Amino acid sequence: MRPDLSVEISGLKLATPLIAASGTFGYGTEYGDVVDYAAIGAIAVKGLYLNPRPGCPPPRIWETPSGMLNAIGLQEIGVTRFIAEKLPELRKLGPAVVVNICGSTLEEYGELARILNDVEGVSGIEINISCPNVKEGGILFGCDPDLAARATEVVRAGTTLPVIPKLSPNVTDITVVARRVESAGADAVSLINTIPAMAIDVETRRPRLANVVGGLSGPAIRPIAVRLVYQTAQAVKIPVIGIGGIGSAEDALEFLIAGARAVQIGTMNFVDPSVWSRTLEGLADYCRRHALSSITEVTGTLRVEGGLPSGW
Amino acid sequence: MKEDERAVLVDRRVLSPDAQLLFFRAPKHSKTFLPGQFTMLRTPGEGLLLRRPYSICSAEPEKGRFSLLVKVVGQGTRALTELPMGGEVHCLGPLGTSFEPPTEGRRPVIVAGGVGIAPFLCFCESLARAGVVAKVLLGGRRSHDLYLKDDFAELGMDVSCTTEDGSFGWKGLVTDLLTEVLDESQPARLYSCGPSGMLRRVAEIAAERKVPHQVSIERRMGCGMGCCLGCVVFTRLPEETEAQGEYRRACTEGPVFEADQIVWDRDPHPL
Repeated sequence: MRPDLSVEISGLKLATPLIAASGTFGYGTEYGDVVDYAAIGAIAVKGLYLNPRPGCPPPRIWETPSGMLNAIGLQEIGVTRFIAEKLPELRKLGPAVVVNICGSTLEEYGELARILNDVEGVSGIEINISCPNVKEGGILFGCDPDLAARATEVVRAGTTLPVIPKLSPNVTDITVVARRVESAGADAVSLINTIPAMAIDVETRRPRLANVVGGLSGPAIRPIAVRLVYQTAQAVKIPVIGIGGIGSAEDALEFLIAGARAVQIGTMNFVDPSVWSRTLEGLADYCRRHALSSITEVTGTLRVEGGLPSGW
Repeated sequence: MKEDERAVLVDRRVLSPDAQLLFFRAPKHSKTFLPGQFTMLRTPGEGLLLRRPYSICSAEPEKGRFSLLVKVVGQGTRALTELPMGGEVHCLGPLGTSFEPPTEGRRPVIVAGGVGIAPFLCFCESLARAGVVAKVLLGGRRSHDLYLKDDFAELGMDVSCTTEDGSFGWKGLVTDLLTEVLDESQPARLYSCGPSGMLRRVAEIAAERKVPHQVSIERRMGCGMGCCLGCVVFTRLPEETEAQGEYRRACTEGPVFEADQIVWDRDPHPL
């Protein structure tokens, strides 16, 4: 009997525990026949503001050991064009549609939630809180537990859809942010977003990215992400979605065992679009080998001798 | 129709101390690509993470083969030049836009330098099949940088070369030769691919003389599929808007662009 690979995240029903990470899968249709959509539980679309944004000047990306930097600058088409032009095709693909929303002000997050609440075909909202708050001098919402909580509150007030703040690792204690957004009404949390990082061309002595600093993603960040997922899963009761350099079933299982109920795949999808079917088959195989009837049985099964570890 | 195809190395031709033409058996790529398109290549087990884009250089659909021109510039390209016969790479493609063939009778002019020469071989193969002779201007630092010059001549193209050191052909920059060629006769269409400085100069010359000009732009790419928005080129918007233009993807709306669409001043760091 094939193990049950479906998962549910606070009302968001996913056929598989694999989600396409926002910013790595466009508006869903770009990959065409190269990916197996049946293996993807949900697509988190590119982050949207109310209005279109041009993004940063190039160079926007740079490969680093086992990873990549990106400073795309949230180039996006705005929520109105997304609904009119991209959502109709996206809905036909199969995976649930999770819209990732960005805001330059708290009001903008709220407005996006209200707009999307009434849109057919949207199954969930992921809050990108790694956006600069223009009213507070550009501090990222996600770096301040108060702002993160308030962003979650306004989104919560605007919609009955599942609300999932996407947490930034660039904080002193991610569990503080996680608990605050949970109290503010989040249905789940996804983590981690990229890690601020940079690279330099030593011959020209210029940064590799036009924006100087970008976000690091890919296998290099996976151990950092696994640790943060583990700690967050201990701190909150709401489901955790794990993100960070996942490129195989084994990688995904690290996150599930650490406490995640589902995972997102981003950078590794560029490297090998067959990652979806490979990973799903690997998860099914793992369940069979361990005599598990459902992938949900893996979540939070880390065996730590002698209680919780100290420090770190 | 793009696919992730396993391509097997079946032949190699050494072009210079640091460049090779690699022939891969990949039936789907060889049959479906159009000149100007590229493929996102990765060598399993080799240290780099992201795939790298390579222009498809030539193809033999009846044999199910295509070739890529590889110049050693780093770890990945070196590994490719050392790939043994029978070695496998994964090619995701064909991707991107292609060169539009000329519609008019006047001889088209092609300007190419460095690895930018690559996409024009298959383009000239298709021109030759249509009975069109193109004026092909190849530029390089030294004579061994003039990749495939004899192959273009064998296709019946009218080839002229420039080298900066004078070791072959005309001494100087290929863009200086271009102005001479255009002084003699105005082509219906100009095509270019190569170092960014060369492309900007060709674009200037073409704009001055009002010659339609298609350019193939090289960019670092993340996904190659239109999702990550890493490879963008700043282009004009079709109508008058507040924004000067928009960022378009070199992997999807390109790599072949109409040169007059590109806002060249906004791209100071092309790669």
